[in-house]
Amino acid sequence: MSATTDRPGMLAPTTDTTPDFGVDSTDSVGSLSISNEVALSASERQMTLNMGPQHPSTHGVLRVVLKLDGEVITDCDPVIGYLHRGTEKLGEAHRYSQIVPWTDRTDYVAAPMNNLVCVMAIEKLVDVTAPELAQYWRVIMSELARIASHLVWLGTHALDIGALSMSLYCFRERELILDIFETFCGARLTTNMMEIGGFSRPIPENLPGMVRDFCRIFPERQAEYAALLSANPIWMARTKGVGVITPEAAISYSLTGACLRGSGINYDVRKAMPYLVYDRLDFEVPLGQHGDTYDRYLVRMEEMRQTIKIIEQCLDQCEGMDTPLMAYESPYVIPPHKGTMTTAEDMQRHFIWTIKGFNPPIGEAYAAVEGPKGELGVYIVSDGGPLPYRFRLRHPDFVNLSVLPHMAQGAMLADIVALIGTIDIVLGSVDR
Amino acid sequence: MTDPNPTAAGALAVAEPVPETALAVAAPADPWARELWFDADVEKHPALRELRTAMPEVIVDVVRFRDETTIHVRREAYREVCRFLRDHPRISLNFLSDTTAVDMLRLRESPRFDVVALLYSLPNRVRLRIKAGCDDGESVPSLTPLWNGANWLEREIYDMFGIVFEGHPNLRRMLLPDDWDEGHPLRKDYPLRGWGEFPVSNAERTVGRVRTRWSGRGAS
Repeated sequence: MSATTDRPGMLAPTTDTTPDFGVDSTDSVGSLSISNEVALSASERQMTLNMGPQHPSTHGVLRVVLKLDGEVITDCDPVIGYLHRGTEKLGEAHRYSQIVPWTDRTDYVAAPMNNLVCVMAIEKLVDVTAPELAQYWRVIMSELARIASHLVWLGTHALDIGALSMSLYCFRERELILDIFETFCGARLTTNMMEIGGFSRPIPENLPGMVRDFCRIFPERQAEYAALLSANPIWMARTKGVGVITPEAAISYSLTGACLRGSGINYDVRKAMPYLVYDRLDFEVPLGQHGDTYDRYLVRMEEMRQTIKIIEQCLDQCEGMDTPLMAYESPYVIPPHKGTMTTAEDMQRHFIWTIKGFNPPIGEAYAAVEGPKGELGVYIVSDGGPLPYRFRLRHPDFVNLSVLPHMAQGAMLADIVALIGTIDIVLGSVDR
Repeated sequence: MTDPNPTAAGALAVAEPVPETALAVAAPADPWARELWFDADVEKHPALRELRTAMPEVIVDVVRFRDETTIHVRREAYREVCRFLRDHPRISLNFLSDTTAVDMLRLRESPRFDVVALLYSLPNRVRLRIKAGCDDGESVPSLTPLWNGANWLEREIYDMFGIVFEGHPNLRRMLLPDDWDEGHPLRKDYPLRGWGEFPVSNAERTVGRVRTRWSGRGAS
C-alpha cells in the first residue's frame, strides 16, 4: 500500500491508518539502499551515548559518556562521584581507632584489606608492631579477602560478557569466605576486623579448620571455572586483543595490580616491599604478555591459586604458635578488655583510652599493601593531636579507572562493558 | 679491580656502567648501595645527593620520618624535580604512586598547601616523597605531562582543595558535581557538615506540579 515516491529508496509517508506489513510493496527489500545517503560531517555522524549511572554493567554508579561513530567509540568520559561520601574528610574528624570502620565502606568487597592498610599506616606512625601470630592471621584474612574480591570480579566480569552461570558459581564460593569472616568477627561485609596492634579477640577454635576446608575445596572449584572459560571460544573472542595496554602506558597511567602485571611489569607490593610476613612465604607473581583483557583474566586466576598457597603456608607456620594477639605493651594500643567489667581501674583506663584516644608523634606515614585491585595505600599526616590531620586513601580503582578513556579509544561499543570489567572497579572505593 | 657496585639497585636495575671518574671516587663505598636509601642520615640518600648536585637551589627542606624521606622543593621547580628524578638513569623514580595535597592552615603561616607527589622506583624498589608548598591562588606545575596517571589525581586535588595546576589539560571537578559552588571540602576551613542543608524542599520547587490522571488533587 505504501507506494514509493519518485525519490528512490524512500517510503512515502503513509496517511493510512491500516497496518502495513509490506506484503504488497513491490520493492521492499532493495528500498534501504545507501545511494541517497547524504554525506555527513564528522560531528553530525557522532552520537553521544550516556551509559549509567544506573547500568548493570557499570558495577555500581559509574556514568560513562560515550561519543560514537557508528559502533566505534571515539571518545569516552567517565563521570564519577555518585557515591562520594567524603571518607577522607570524615577520617579527619575521627580518632585514629575510629577510622577503621570507615574504610570498610570504601572497597566493600574486600573490607579486611582496607582495614589492614589503615591499621598498618597508623602502626607505622606510632611505631607499633603487631605480634607474630596476629601478623599471620592478618595475612590469612586479607588473602581470603583477595579471593573474595577476585570472585566478585570474575562473576560480574563474565556476566557482563555473557557467561551468566559464572556469577552463580563465584558467589557460591564467596559465601564460604564470608562465613569465615562471620565466624571470625561477626560481620560478613563490613568486617572492621583489624585493630591497632593486632586482634583484641581470640581466634575461634574452629576457624583454622574452616580455612583449611576452604583451601581444600576451592582449587578444584577454580579448575571448573578455568575449564568453563579459559579455552571457551566466545570468551576468547570477547577478551583476546581487547583493551590492550602497553607496558609504557601502564606505567604512565600509574596502573597497579593485575592491570599493570597483565602488561608484563613486575610490580607486586608483597614482593617489592614485603610487609607483615610475606618475606617468609613462597609464592609467585604471575605476569601477562600481551596486556589485553584475556591476560588480565589469566593473571587474576593465577593470583587466586597463589593465594591458596599463601594461606596454607600461613596456617602451617602459625600452627601451635601461642604468642599474644595484641601488642598490649604499647601505650597506643587499646587496653585489654579483661577486667573492664570487674575492676574500676581497668574500666576507667579502657574508658579514658576510648574517649580520648591517643596522641601520636608529629609526622606522616604512608603504608601500602597489595590489594586485590592494586596498590592500596593510606597516607596519614599527624599534627600530634588525637585526630589525624590528613587522612588520604589511595585506592587503586580510582587510578586504574583513569585508563578507561585510553583503552576505549577506537574500541567497539560492545567492548566497553568488558573494559570496565577488566579494570575491576568498585565504585565505593573509586568515589570514597 | 673488584666490582664497585655489587648490590646496587636490585635485580631489576638497568645495568648502567659507572663512568671511570666516578669509579675512582666511589671505590671505597658504593654510592648506590641499597642501605643508603634507608640510612638514618638523610644526606646520604642517593636521590637527595644527586638533586643537591644538579639543582641545589630548589631544595627547601628535607625530612626523614619512619624510614620515609620527604624533600620539600620550590613550587616552580616541582615538575622539573620530578622529571629529573624520573629520567635519571640510576635513581629512576619512574612510577607515580600517588599525588595528593595537605591543607597546612593550622600548622604554619605560609605557604598554606602542600602538594605531595609520592614517587616509586620500579628498578630500585624505593619510595620518595616530593612536596611543594603553594598559597591559595597560586598555581603548581602539573605532573600530567610526565605521567598520565596524574590527570585524575590532580583533578581530585583541584576538586577537594582548589589548587590550580598549570599545564593540566582538563582541570574540572572530579568527584563533586561540576556546578558545585560551595567551595572545596577538604580545606580545613570547610566545616565537616558543609555550609548548610542542601537547598531542596517542596517550597523551592523549580518545576511546578502538573495535574495528572493519578494525583487527583492537582496543584500549581
